[in-house]
Order: sequence, then C-alpha cells, then structure tokens
Amino acid sequence: MPTPTLIQSLVITLIQCLLVVIFVFVVVPLTVFAERKVLGHLQQRLGSTRVASGHVGFSGWMNRRMWKMGRVPVLSYWRGIPGLVGDVLKLILKEDIMPTKADKFVFFLAPSISMVAAIVVFAAISFVPGTFFTLPTWFPFVGGLPVSGGIADINVGLLWILGVATVGIYGIVLAGWSSNSKYPLLGGLRSAAQMVSYEVPLTLSLLAPVVLSASLNFSEMSSRMAIGMPFWALVPQVIGFLLYLTCGFAETNRLPFDMPEAENELVAGFHTEYSGMKFGLFYLAEYINMTVVSALASAFFLGGPWLLPFGLQGLLNPYLPGFLSWFGAPHAIFFVAKIIFLLFTYIWVRGTIPRYRYDQIMAVGWKYLIPLALVNLLLAAVIRCFAV
Amino acid sequence: MEHFIETIGRNLFAIFGVMALVGALLTIGSRSAIHSVLGFLFAMLNIAGCFLALEAEFLGVAQILVYAGGIVVLFLFVVMLVEMSKKREGEVFQLQSRYAVVAVAVGVVMFLGVFRKVLFGAASPEALVLRPELARGLDVAHQNAQAVSRGLFADYLLPFEILSVILLVALVGAVALAKTERV
Repeated sequence: MPTPTLIQSLVITLIQCLLVVIFVFVVVPLTVFAERKVLGHLQQRLGSTRVASGHVGFSGWMNRRMWKMGRVPVLSYWRGIPGLVGDVLKLILKEDIMPTKADKFVFFLAPSISMVAAIVVFAAISFVPGTFFTLPTWFPFVGGLPVSGGIADINVGLLWILGVATVGIYGIVLAGWSSNSKYPLLGGLRSAAQMVSYEVPLTLSLLAPVVLSASLNFSEMSSRMAIGMPFWALVPQVIGFLLYLTCGFAETNRLPFDMPEAENELVAGFHTEYSGMKFGLFYLAEYINMTVVSALASAFFLGGPWLLPFGLQGLLNPYLPGFLSWFGAPHAIFFVAKIIFLLFTYIWVRGTIPRYRYDQIMAVGWKYLIPLALVNLLLAAVIRCFAV
Repeated sequence: MEHFIETIGRNLFAIFGVMALVGALLTIGSRSAIHSVLGFLFAMLNIAGCFLALEAEFLGVAQILVYAGGIVVLFLFVVMLVEMSKKREGEVFQLQSRYAVVAVAVGVVMFLGVFRKVLFGAASPEALVLRPELARGLDVAHQNAQAVSRGLFADYLLPFEILSVILLVALVGAVALAKTERV
C-alpha cells in the first residue's frame, strides 16, 4: 500500500467531501419529495402528481406501458418528481427581500451559520469502518490510493458532532433577532429554549453507548455497539434509541415539536422575513440535520454499517454460515438504508402525532426524558460493570 | 506547493490566535451588544482552533461544546431579552468608561507580568504529564480524551469534585436570588 503524500491526502479528503455533499444533495431533495408523497398517502391524498413531464418523459413512458399492460401505474408514486426542479429554481430565482430595519450583517450571517453547522457535522461521521474503496489506478494524481469511510475519524468524534450541532442554534436565534419583527423574535427565542433544554437528554441518551463502548470515536463506537455487546446490552440500547429519537425530533424542530415555526401561532417562526435562497438555506439545514440525527441513531443504536440493529449482529455472527458472510460484514449500503428508514420515520411521525403545546414540550423534556435518560445511563453503567 | 501547505500547517496556531484576537477586539469595539456577542463567539471558536492546532483535540472540542454551544447561547439570550434603546445603551457605556480604563490598565499590567514570566522565565523543573502507571496501555498522543479522564479521575479527583460543588453552589445561589426577588 503506497503512503500518500501531503497533497495527495488533501486531494483524497476533497474527494470525500465531494462525496458527502453529493450524498446530502441527493438525499435531501428526495426526502422533501417523499415528505409530500408519504404525507399525502397518510392523509388519504395522492400528494403532488401534476408535474410529471406529460407524456414525453420517463415516468410518462412508464405510465403508458403500465396502462397498456392493464395495470394502474405503480410509478404514479414517482409522479411529481420534476416539480422538485421547479422548487429549486424558485428558491434560487425569487427576489431576495431584505427588511428595511433588519440588521443587515446578522440577517445575512444567520442562514449561513445554520447551513455550515449542519454540513460540517459530517466530517466526523464514518459511513463504513476502515477503507471505503480504493481509487482505480488510472485515476489522475491519486490513483490506487484507499479512500476511508469517514472524512476525519477523530478520537473525539462524538463530541465534535454534538459541539458543532449546538453552533447551529445560533442560526435560528440570530435569524429571529435580526429580522427586527415580533413573530420571528418569539420563534427564535422559543426554539433556542427548546433546543438548549433537549440537548441535555439527547447527550445523556448518547452517553449510554459511550459507557458501553468505552470510546468517543465514531467508527469505534458504532462497531463495538454493533458486534461487541453482550445480550443484556440490548435493554439500554432499545430504551436509549427511543429516547434519542424523541430528542432528535425536538432538536431538529420537527413535528410534534416544531415550536419555532408553529404556523398558527407565529406565522412561520424565525424565518418569517426570509425569502429566496436565504430561506432555502434554512430549509436545507433542517433536512441535513434530520439526516445527521438519523445517521447517529443508526450508527449507535441500529448497528451502523452492519445489518442487524441493537447489537444483535454480534450475537448472530458466530452462527452465520459461510455463504451468508456478506450479511455479516459492514457495508455502507446498510448504513444508508437505515438512514433512509429513519427519515421515513420522521415523515411517518409527522403524519401521525399532532403538535404539543409549548409547556407540554418543556414538561416532557425536563420531567420525563431527563430522568429516564439518567436511569438508562445507570443501567448501561451496571451492564458495563458486570457483563462487558 | 507542498512547502507552502506545510508552512501553513506549522503556523495554524498563529493564524487562529490572530483571528481570536480579532474576535476579542470586535467584542469590545462594536456598537451593538449582539455584535459583541458574535465577536465573542468568533473568538471562542478560534481558541478551539488553537487547541486543535496544538493537537489537544479533547480541549478544543470541549471548548466548542461548552463555550460556543452553551455559555455564549445564554449570553445571546440575555442580550436579546434586555432591550435597550440606542440612547440609553450609549449612556450606560459612557458611564462606565472611566472605570473601564482603570480595569483594562490593571488587566494589561497583570497579563504583561504573566506573559513576561511565560515567555522569558525559566521552564518548570518537571513537565506536567500523566503518571506513567496511569498511562499504561494508552497512546497518550492520540487518545487525549482518555488521558485527560484518567488524570482527572485518579490524581485530581478531589479538586474536580470540589469544583463541581462550587458550580452547584453558584446555581443554588442564582435560584435563591431569583426566588426572593419575585416574592
């Protein structure tokens, strides 16, 4: 294995960053589309179907084929996808309105803080332990070199993720303040209080995997949680997963916790005054944050790049016959599949549970989730002490 | 090219340090309180960068997590809630300027003393490192979160616990003050 020079390793890091950005910008628009369709079907509507490139595009061709075969076209699930292009164009081309009395600099800064904090988190997320793939030898300048599964799999990866995610709060608070208007200010304050409160149970629920795996490194944690746990570690993992997912919904301001943008109380919350691509950045940051929360949940609780969740893979692997060994090994595809399933869960919950009142949100966070997370941490510590 | 990048890599500490100073200047120099908080945030993030440049990953990330993520958010919260008109804000700043000059002068003298001692004084006779029996089985250079935790919970457990009790006292005191004001 040739050791890369400094510039070569920088180029490889650049390739990894590019791959992550491509991943994000493929997953996020598809989640937006899925949100429309899944929510539509949950509410017994069809969702967006009108923009489907008529009878000329791919879906039109598939639809005609299906009708000819005498079936209702299954691909009507995909109708409406060209509308996404229209959405993006609308975000980019719309007039960018700056309120007269807004604080210009902070108004400009807030969406970029949100977006940057959301995407920088991916630096510490490793999609697969060790080498992801080796570049082919014909590749210019960095041919034949391995590309690892994470950009920077640092020793304190989990702390990095939590720390940078908290910086994202500034985007929302500053957006609310700089708009110089009452509704955004209230939305910003509410969301800051909510996110600061829910960070406590979120961190506590992530401490259980830290205690069980005795590490803060992302790939080490995910691999130990997936294949290195005794049977009893199943209990704190399941409880921790549910706690983490609840707090994750609150952290990303999604239903049933979407206080900052409760539209019947606060118009649109902190981004009321934003338009054009500045609003688009907030929108993107929200969906990227959803992806990050899903990635963490799937890495630490659902087995990460291994197939089975909650550490069951480690219990099963010794009994796995040889021809099924592909299922016993880590693959990025399992990881991505779990992320996509959790993103679907986001939409599913949104269509199922109505919004909480603000005092209910605070009561749930402080009176139930924090004590539960502490009990779970204690349970994990006991198991760590006796069983691992 | 390679040489250039290596030069940048060696001087990352200086770059982050200068940017932290710029943030600190913005903190004391800007007109609006929110801009001051933003300057403070910028300084804090750059200090985290300084720690990272010194390969103290745990300290750097803890800096982001505690200061940038927790404390500055609360500052921002308070500053946003305390709505001051521009005029009154100016008066408050004017009233304090005389005391501020004295405080800054005292601070400058103290820090000059510290810097003189650090830069030109003799180095400490023995380096402050983890005891070798605690560092057993640990790659201290790369696992500094583990190294810090071993030192903290073995050699410095009592000071650590006393510090947390002091923080708790401050917390209880704040709650007590807020309660008595309301009654």
